Amino acid sequence: MRARTPLLALRQVSRYFGAVEALVDVDLEVHAHEVVALVGDNGAGKSTLAQIVAGVLTPSSGQVEIDGEPVSISSPSAANQLGVASVFQDLAVCENLDVTANVFLGQELRGRGGLLRDGAMETETRELLEHLTVRIPSVRTPLRHLSAGQRQAVAIARTLIGQPRIVVLDEPTAALSVAQTAEVLTHIQRLRELGLGVVLISHNLNDVRAVSDRIEVLRHGRNNGSYPATATHEEILAAITGAA
Amino acid sequence: MVGSQSSLREANRARVVDAVKRHGGLTQVELSGATGLSPATVSTIVKELVAAELVEVRNTVRSGRRAQLVTLAHRVGLVAGVLVGTRQLTVAIADVSHEVLAEQVLPLPAEHRADTSLDRAALLVVDLLERVGSELDEVLGIGLGLPAPVDASSGQVTVRGILRGWDGVPVAQVLSKRLARPVFVDNDANLGALAESTVGAAREVHDALYVRAGHGVGAGIVLAGRVHRGVAGTAGEIGHVQVDPGGNICSCGSRGCLDTVVGDRALLEPLRSSHGHLTLADVVRLAGEDDPGCREIVADAGAVVGGVVAGLATSLNPELVVVGGALSTTGEVFLGPLREALRRRTLLQQVVPLEVVPAALGTRAELEGALALALQHTDLLEQQADAGPPGAVVVGQIGTGKGNR
Repeated sequence: MRARTPLLALRQVSRYFGAVEALVDVDLEVHAHEVVALVGDNGAGKSTLAQIVAGVLTPSSGQVEIDGEPVSISSPSAANQLGVASVFQDLAVCENLDVTANVFLGQELRGRGGLLRDGAMETETRELLEHLTVRIPSVRTPLRHLSAGQRQAVAIARTLIGQPRIVVLDEPTAALSVAQTAEVLTHIQRLRELGLGVVLISHNLNDVRAVSDRIEVLRHGRNNGSYPATATHEEILAAITGAA
Repeated sequence: MVGSQSSLREANRARVVDAVKRHGGLTQVELSGATGLSPATVSTIVKELVAAELVEVRNTVRSGRRAQLVTLAHRVGLVAGVLVGTRQLTVAIADVSHEVLAEQVLPLPAEHRADTSLDRAALLVVDLLERVGSELDEVLGIGLGLPAPVDASSGQVTVRGILRGWDGVPVAQVLSKRLARPVFVDNDANLGALAESTVGAAREVHDALYVRAGHGVGAGIVLAGRVHRGVAGTAGEIGHVQVDPGGNICSCGSRGCLDTVVGDRALLEPLRSSHGHLTLADVVRLAGEDDPGCREIVADAGAVVGGVVAGLATSLNPELVVVGGALSTTGEVFLGPLREALRRRTLLQQVVPLEVVPAALGTRAELEGALALALQHTDLLEQQADAGPPGAVVVGQIGTGKGNR
């Protein structure tokens, strides 16, 4: 079931901001059908790593590989073309637009003469939400009328447009109620079942240990251990804080 | 009849009811979006459904505006079911007619702990009540299932080490203190047995076994229509019957228990080199997709479980074995070898051959059982309403006899 070549691999990736070492020689592998969690303290480099994979930042040194091929992810659209989709902490959804418009934002379906294919986009949105078992009554609801959990679901649904193979989620359960967290975690399990590789960044060890296959700890921008999801809370906490 | 006015109206009514069921509660504007029907049509249909007492309309607030929330009609009151699993928590709200109004699954970490998980369960109950537009005081009782033998009165796990992180916690008291509602606790396999014997595959028979095979294996024993729990709730714990005297040490302290041979870890380990890291859900799915390795694992587990169930069946002489849990969803892949092993070793049952059937409620049996447990206690609660304060934990156990239904 697991392909030998990982879907996504980071080899000795470093990123400096002047004197700040955000990432130093970091390795990461993500396979299909796998949820890999990235955990670490504030400033451990989790978000920097996510931004490198998403094409927002370029590494100062090191190599990013997709399907074993060295690639350069120079921009978010380059990431999209390589099959990498990301959801960041601030979601970047448009409050005034409805669910369909948000899902297809910037990648709208166009028919002859460049006209928008509204019907097709609505149908596809409905199917996507159904696929993820998202509970949103109508795809025509403007985002401002949705709960935080539902917005997160829309942001996750958006990543599935264009059939990506790798999804990066940065703190998807921060500031959500338990019921909303439950829905988002269920969506993450769904992404895994659909055969995608998922990079999950979170502070919440409970959530991370609930849905991940593997947990990678970052500390001061360096790899500080790789744990199976069955590792105890204490082991992972020790690696995060440097006690291990 | 295609295209006739009345059949169209029927279809539209069904769409509205389906949408309400799926979402728990929806405003009329949302209903129109969810069904694709015009607001005027939705309004007319909702009026008809209210008159037919199928749905109810309550006032609510959406985006700062007053709105009318349409929910399924709640008969008399509500009950909550909480099912704590090895890797997930399920919470459901149902009315007294056993109609599930809202439900949510939360994935849990391995070896989750009572404090965090009970806190999340309590918050989920409140969240789901809000979803169906109800308050906590409409809840008559909460049924909770645990994947370990429990003491029915306190909800405390009676065998240390089996459910690490829950040892010594009086689960019923903790949750009933938190929510100020009565909480009733039982073992998950017993709840599955309760559900299957009242509304499922075993409702016609008096003596039956319910076997639950998932992350671990357990059984619920139904004798003369009642779930038999034993003195400390450990009746039917077939996961701790020895099958391999030279095997690994089990979480209970014994050696070579059934759980060490067919528990989730034992099932996943042999697949690691060929398939990589899998979850139990992956194995079940792959077995259904004809993956030979996963089929082999599931089939062998069926044969071993069948051998242990045969011992139990020989002692108790049931009419029926109902098989539930995640592994049962692979159908004959698991059930076939289980049935064959049972047939070979229960030669005494010649007059009425022992039947093996999948759970009629599927993997929902335990959750339905948690709801049924809460419902069964509601009759009693109404009688006690004047006697005791709400939130008191009802000590002792109420029969699950068929006559009580």
